[in-house]
Amino acid sequence: MSEKYFLKENMEKNVSDYDFSAFKKALKMGQNKVIKEIEDSGLKGRGGAGFPTGFKWKLASQQEADLKYFICNGDEGEPGTFKDRLLMEDSPVKVLEGIMIGAFAVGASQGYIYIRGEYAKPIKIFNKIIKEAKKEQVLGENIFGSDFSFEMKLIKGAGAYVCGDETSLINSIEGHRGISRIKPPYPIEKGLFDKPTVVNNVETLSCAAEIINQGSDTYNELGTENSRGTKLVCLSGDINEPGVYEVEFGSMTIREIIQEFGKGIKNNKELKFVIPGGISTSILSNDKIDIPYTYEDIEKAESSLGSGALIVVAKGHDLIDLMLNASRFYMDETCGTCFPCREGNRQVHHMLKKAMGKGIDHNKTELIKDIGKTIRLASRCGLGQSSLNFIGSVIDEYPNELLIGGVDNG
Amino acid sequence: MNSDKFLDRAHDIQDTYGYIPEGEIDKMAKEFDVPRAKVYGSIRFYSMFYTEPTGKYIIRVCDSLSCHINDSKSIVDSIKNYLGIDDGETTENKKFTLEVVECLGHCGEGPVMMVNDEMYTHVSKNMALDIIKDCT
Ligand SMILES: Cc1cc2nc3c(=O)[nH]c(=O)nc-3n(C[C@H](O)[C@H](O)[C@H](O)COP(=O)(O)O)c2cc1C
Ligand code: SF4
Ligand code: FES
Repeated sequence: MSEKYFLKENMEKNVSDYDFSAFKKALKMGQNKVIKEIEDSGLKGRGGAGFPTGFKWKLASQQEADLKYFICNGDEGEPGTFKDRLLMEDSPVKVLEGIMIGAFAVGASQGYIYIRGEYAKPIKIFNKIIKEAKKEQVLGENIFGSDFSFEMKLIKGAGAYVCGDETSLINSIEGHRGISRIKPPYPIEKGLFDKPTVVNNVETLSCAAEIINQGSDTYNELGTENSRGTKLVCLSGDINEPGVYEVEFGSMTIREIIQEFGKGIKNNKELKFVIPGGISTSILSNDKIDIPYTYEDIEKAESSLGSGALIVVAKGHDLIDLMLNASRFYMDETCGTCFPCREGNRQVHHMLKKAMGKGIDHNKTELIKDIGKTIRLASRCGLGQSSLNFIGSVIDEYPNELLIGGVDNG
Repeated sequence: MNSDKFLDRAHDIQDTYGYIPEGEIDKMAKEFDVPRAKVYGSIRFYSMFYTEPTGKYIIRVCDSLSCHINDSKSIVDSIKNYLGIDDGETTENKKFTLEVVECLGHCGEGPVMMVNDEMYTHVSKNMALDIIKDCT
């Protein structure tokens, strides 16, 4: 089994070496056909929520406004995820092209790419790309002789995971604290500076560019009914060959990805579980990973494909230590607006810390799960809502091990 | 604030002084025409902005799950030990600030650390100390 190159096709680093054929094609097709093509492709957002991209663009294109914004979300921060960085470093021109196609389709004249502050290299690269694109008149007035004009600006984040949430990201661009906004209104109606705004993930936009380039028919030949195309899978953890692999949906099981691309578990250990979509998703234990890699199969197994971060965990780790690690993430990264998310995650962290080396009894784990339920029900954004997925699923899967200190004898 | 120039401005000041001094907060308040508290509140939200002086070198070591599985904790411990400071602290000579941070997006190459803008991957304990010793 080898990687399926769809996204990894045509990786280009310089504006002057790139012909922007997909964007030129889009200009010829016109807004409606571009949107139709993306709708037909079945492309779903790769930022974690899986919202249909074509539908988002259609809604945005129908908004009446003097000004619309188009934002590329390069805030990648979900532990285990590093595919957007790869695209921004190795294929930045296609990311730019995706932004331009999206902006053209919805009628946006001002664009942003928001890159997390720690991504020094992608920031440097995109600064250069935008400068080059302006010089080559790929950005600016009447691009390629059309009546489409578009400007771009890079915003450098400053260290806050929650800014990856689209409404927090909008607040952050405006210079506010990066806390989420109440929805509705959705950004599509009232987003950045109260104007209609589309936010799309880096991988989504690279896909969109390649779909216009190769056609939705080619795309539709890849993947399954509900998971079209390919996905960049970030393999990390206890694995021999970690990395970003492009997987055609449905063509491989999770175990096959681990065995064939990742070359198996490090130090000849046995696999204990995987986290299929970054630490905001529930674990799948060793006996549950012989399922095709698709949105629907992973959902059926009661987890989620999330951002595509596949973290592999071998036997022998202290489970309470891993849970403590995840809980610290949410305690540190909560924006603090919702009481259950702010205080709940702090309490869970406190309980786990006390349990380190000693084990945690049923009453306590039930309490943690109860807090998890409350946070899920009463939190405003995805950070809170998913903050106890990982921890809750470890509790459900390994209650006895947690009782005796969280260390298995594998 | 309502200005897409705010973050840029704050980054500039942070890069120039190693933190955002009070005088600059005053200036920003004027520039963006908002109360000082608003500027302060916004700045304090972001972990890469400081309102107290930091070391010349900010060392960031990732301890999120994928790196943690690959024993990032031992890297953190040996740096703490070597510099004699804890997470979030600055050495007395103002040379180093240590930050244990969440995922730096190099999870397949862990453990990873950053020194200012430079990223280091597959870090071992010895390598971490060598990197620090090379900072002049
Ligand atoms: C806490 C939180 C963090 C998020 N981080 C990111 C991120 O780093 N990158 C991203 O593209 N989407 C992230 N999202 C999802 C965005 O809110 C949004 O759904 C996405 O950018 C839309 O793009 P897409 O439809 O192309 O996926 C995050 C959501 C939440 C709740
Ligand atoms: S759920 Fe948590 S991170 Fe999200 S808005 Fe509420 S407090 Fe902030
Ligand atoms: S978990 Fe350390 S870089 Fe992602």
